[in-house]
Order: sequence, then structure tokens, then C-alpha cells
Amino acid sequence: MKRLYSVIIVLFLILAFGYYKEKQPVKISRDHIPQIGILQLTEHPALDAIHHGIIQGLKESGFQPGKNIKIDFQNAENDQSNLKTMSTKFANENVDLSIGIATPSAQVLANTVKNRPLVLGAITDPKSAGLVNSNQKPGRNTTGVSDLPPMKQQLDLIKQIMPNMKTLGVIYTSSDDSATSQYKKFTEICKQEGIKVKGYSIANTNDLNQVATQMVQNVDAVYVPNDNTVASAIQTLVAVANKRNVPIFPTASNVVKNGGIATYGLNQFKLGVETGKVTAKIIHGENASEMPIQTLKHGDLALNLNQARKLGIHIPQPLIQKAERQGVIYK
Amino acid sequence: MSLIISAIGQGLLWAVIGVGLYLTFRILDFPDMTVEGTFPMGAATAVTAIAHGYSPIIATIMAFLVGCLAGLVTGLLYTKAKIPVLLAGILVMTASYSIDLRIMGKPNQSLLGLPTLLNGHFFQSLPPYFDSVALGLIIIVIVTIVLVYFLQTDLGQAFIATGDNENMAESLGINTDNMKIMGVSVSNGLIALGGALVAQNNGYSDVNMGIGIIVVALASIIIGEVVFGDLTMVQRLIAVTIGSIIYRLVLLLVLQLGFNATDLNLISSVLLAIFMGVPALEKKFHLKHVLKRGLKNHD
Repeated sequence: MKRLYSVIIVLFLILAFGYYKEKQPVKISRDHIPQIGILQLTEHPALDAIHHGIIQGLKESGFQPGKNIKIDFQNAENDQSNLKTMSTKFANENVDLSIGIATPSAQVLANTVKNRPLVLGAITDPKSAGLVNSNQKPGRNTTGVSDLPPMKQQLDLIKQIMPNMKTLGVIYTSSDDSATSQYKKFTEICKQEGIKVKGYSIANTNDLNQVATQMVQNVDAVYVPNDNTVASAIQTLVAVANKRNVPIFPTASNVVKNGGIATYGLNQFKLGVETGKVTAKIIHGENASEMPIQTLKHGDLALNLNQARKLGIHIPQPLIQKAERQGVIYK
Repeated sequence: MSLIISAIGQGLLWAVIGVGLYLTFRILDFPDMTVEGTFPMGAATAVTAIAHGYSPIIATIMAFLVGCLAGLVTGLLYTKAKIPVLLAGILVMTASYSIDLRIMGKPNQSLLGLPTLLNGHFFQSLPPYFDSVALGLIIIVIVTIVLVYFLQTDLGQAFIATGDNENMAESLGINTDNMKIMGVSVSNGLIALGGALVAQNNGYSDVNMGIGIIVVALASIIIGEVVFGDLTMVQRLIAVTIGSIIYRLVLLLVLQLGFNATDLNLISSVLLAIFMGVPALEKKFHLKHVLKRGLKNHD
């Protein structure tokens, strides 16, 4: 009992001391090398690739981590309370700039490390995540690179390969903010092109088999957005779709390799490199709030001829030639 | 210093969740898995209400009520439909995922640029990081006072008796089913309240934010108990709050020591296991005794 009260008294003393200290104005010396805080939501191949890309992009812009730039990298391992602690660490270290990889990390950073530039790494729709005023003119000292796939280009590709397609199925995870917003955007694009879209959502990979079985009975082809959950169970989807000879058009090249037909895929590493370059520009003094959110307009063509043969789908010769010149072909 | 302040602030906010779980886990003596669903549900409700223009105070109260409702469902499933409590909780937790998506309309809702409880004039006038300390302190003091008062009423005593010995409570004419339903409801209301506070402090709510909540809540209860030993009911409630703060400070220490973030989940679990296991091991090996004797021999 005594122990309880003494701990409470100690805590209040700490708070009182902290109150006194925090009231003092903070002195920041400006002659130090720029310090950057990178906060990543969780460990995941795509997010890791972005992280490595950022470092590469900084190097290409002349910033060598450990030499003329200091990087504090934190990974929250999907624990929401870690995000806050780690952001506070950045704020406390007075980082000159912070980078958030994946939406929740960026949201916590924006809320914690105030009055410092924030760079968004791979946030599909910064506007709908409430991170910027508009994707063209962000304001709020925030800018970055979106991992929105080149959907128009991808849809054109699907039409090229499936000229008689009437209904296109889209399968995505309902808890994945990025996948959901891609589904909405893709539906709009398809509407303009006069293609009927049917959306199918899953809660986790266990739903995939059943939902996919139902989907392939109603659609001519399947489009898979950039969705980590579906991607991790892509073999299930491929097996179900193959039974009905329904082709799968993913957004990522590695999914094409695992049983998709074709895509103009985004390269996560390249996205990271772009993010690193944006970061370098801001360190050099450019105003983040004036820099539009960047997207990669063109992806790398990837074809899976083996899969096409299996499903009896004819891939136009010009596409194959194009992929041979610049892209990847899985045979 | 500010890291410590921030950790204390977070500890105070998360203490609401610990105190909420205490009602079911310790007083009623059953594990309620609903919390992993009511935490994000509280966050979703509060954030969506704020986004629709409700004042943060109303939004936070709404979160509490929605949490109570979810707890009520678990309670009814458990007492009336005779579904085992673990399963009843898991059912409601699973259902809450769909409900959260319906509430928010999307998986992630941001609060940036919107008012929160922390936007008030008073909170903004405080030095950095003291806003969450002040908010957490105010809420946890109110919650503790209300609970202490409640536990001393006839109803509260009947509630405690139900957890202590159900058969005896029934023989005294207490409707134990109603007590359990009430306990689970209030407990989940508090956890949803905690979710609403954490979401406002973090600036967003996310449908996935409930994962692992039960471990965090258990940590505050168990650390509080192990560190402070035998206490009265009132002191125990306070010990949960201190336990929650200690947990945050230990995690901060682990992070500051530069441990790889990949190992964080393992570290939190090991920490908890140590806290839970030490009393038993101490008893078994008479550690205190051995230590004392060792010192004596040294003299």
C-alpha cells in the first residue's frame, strides 16, 4: 500500500519536473546534419522495398546515411500504440523531416511531429486519408509519392487481351484502406469505358476460396488491386480461377509471375526511390506544401505466356514484342 | 524527458482500457474477448461522429454507449443463450469488424483538421505532451471515482459477490445473470471509451487497431497486481492505472535500448510472462528466503 502511494508521488514529481522543463523554450542548433525519421507500419515485402528504395533515392541525390544525413528508422510491427511512441521519439529528437510508410504511420506522424515536413511513402490516396488538402496542392507541409497503380493503362491492357470482355470482377480486402479506394477508383474508370464491374470483398484470406468461387462464375476476367491480403493468398485465387478458365489481371508484376496473365506493374522499390528524391528536394529547401503528390503514370509490362496458353487466351503479338523489349515475360 | 511524459500520458489513456477489463477479468473472473472488437468500435464511432460534425464530447459518450451495447450482446449470448463466455466474446469481436466498416464506411478514417477532445483551449495551453496526460488524468480519475462509488452501493456489492461466489450470491437472492450482463456491458463501454480516446490522441481510427488490445489491457492489470501486492478493491483500481503507466515506461525503455522492432511483440510477451510468473516461482523456490539467508551468511 505504501509502495502504491510512493509510486504515485514519484510519478507526479516526474510530471511536475517535466512540466517545468517543457515550459522552457526549446533551443535548436541549426548547424547539425539533417536528421530524418522513417516510420514504417509493419514488416512486409512491399513496405520493406519502399524503405530500401527511399535510402537508395537519398543516396542518388547525394545524401549518404551516416555521413551527411542521419536516419532514425522505426518499425511499429502493426501495433498502433507503438506508432505513437515512435512518432513522439521523432518529435523529441527534433527530426528535420519525417517519412511515413503506409497510411496509419503517416497519420500518427502528421498528428505528432507538427511543424515539420512530412513525406508520404506509398499512401494510395492521401486526400481521402485526410493527410493533404488536395493531391495537387497538398498544403500542411506534406507531400510524397502515391502507390496508386496506373489503372487506366492496366484497363487498356485488359481490353487489348480480352476484347470481348463484358463483366470484370474485382476482388479486394474490405479492411485494407488502399485496396478499397483502388476498387472505387477503378470502378469509375471502368464506367467511363463502358465496362461492367462486379466487386467482391473478403475479410481475410480464409474467405478467399469461397468468394472467388462465386466470383468466377459471374465474370469474364478478374482484376486484383494492390492488396496485401489477396496477394499473399494468390495461389488460392489462381487455382479457383483456372478451373473456369478465367484470367487474372493483377497490379503487381510478382503476382503475374504467380499465375496472373498480364499487367503494367508498379515497382515498389522505384516508388521508394522517388520518395527518397522528393525527400532530398525538401532537405534542399523546397516547400513541401507546394509539391503535388506524385504517382507513377507508367508501370512495367509483365506477361505470363505459360498461363495464357493454359487458359487458351491469345496475347497479341505487339504486346509480346513490347514485353520482350522492355518488361518481363514468364514462359 | 518528453518521451517519459508522453509515455505517462499514453499509460493514463490506456489505463481506461485496463480498468474496463478489470471488471470482467478480475471481479467477474472470466476472460472477455469482446474487448478486441469494442476497442476499434469505440474508435470508429467517436471518429465518425466527429467527422459528421458532432462535438468531441458527444462523440466520446456515443463511443461509450456503443461499447456498452456490444458488451450487452456478449452478456446476453453468455447468460441467456448459454454460449461459453470465451466463444460469445469471440463472436461479438468477429461481428464488430463488419460493424466498424459500416460505421466508418471505409477501413480508415482520419481526424486531421477536425476537432478532438485535445483541441480544447485548456489542453492547447499546456506544454507539449501534457495534453494527453491531462486528458488521461481527468478521465481516469472520473472513471475510478464513479466505479469506486458504484462498487460500494448495494448493486456494486451484489456485483462483487457474483464474481466471488456465484452460488452463494444466488442463494442471497442476487440475479447473477443480470450482474454478469451489467458487468460485461460497462466493461466494454469503458474499453470503447478508451478506443475513442486513443483514436483522438493518434488522429485516426483504423478497423485493424484492435489486434493485441487484450494483451495491453492484461499487462496493466497484472503489472499493477504484482508490483503492489495485497490491496483493497479501491487501491487495486488505482494500481491498474499505475500498472498501465509502468508498462508504457518499460516499453519505452526497451525501444530506447535500441531493440529491433521485429522483436517487440516477443519482448512484450516475455515481459508479461515474467510479471505473471515471478510470484509463483518466488513461492516455489523461496527466493526471498534464500536471498535473506544469503545476505545473513555474508555478514
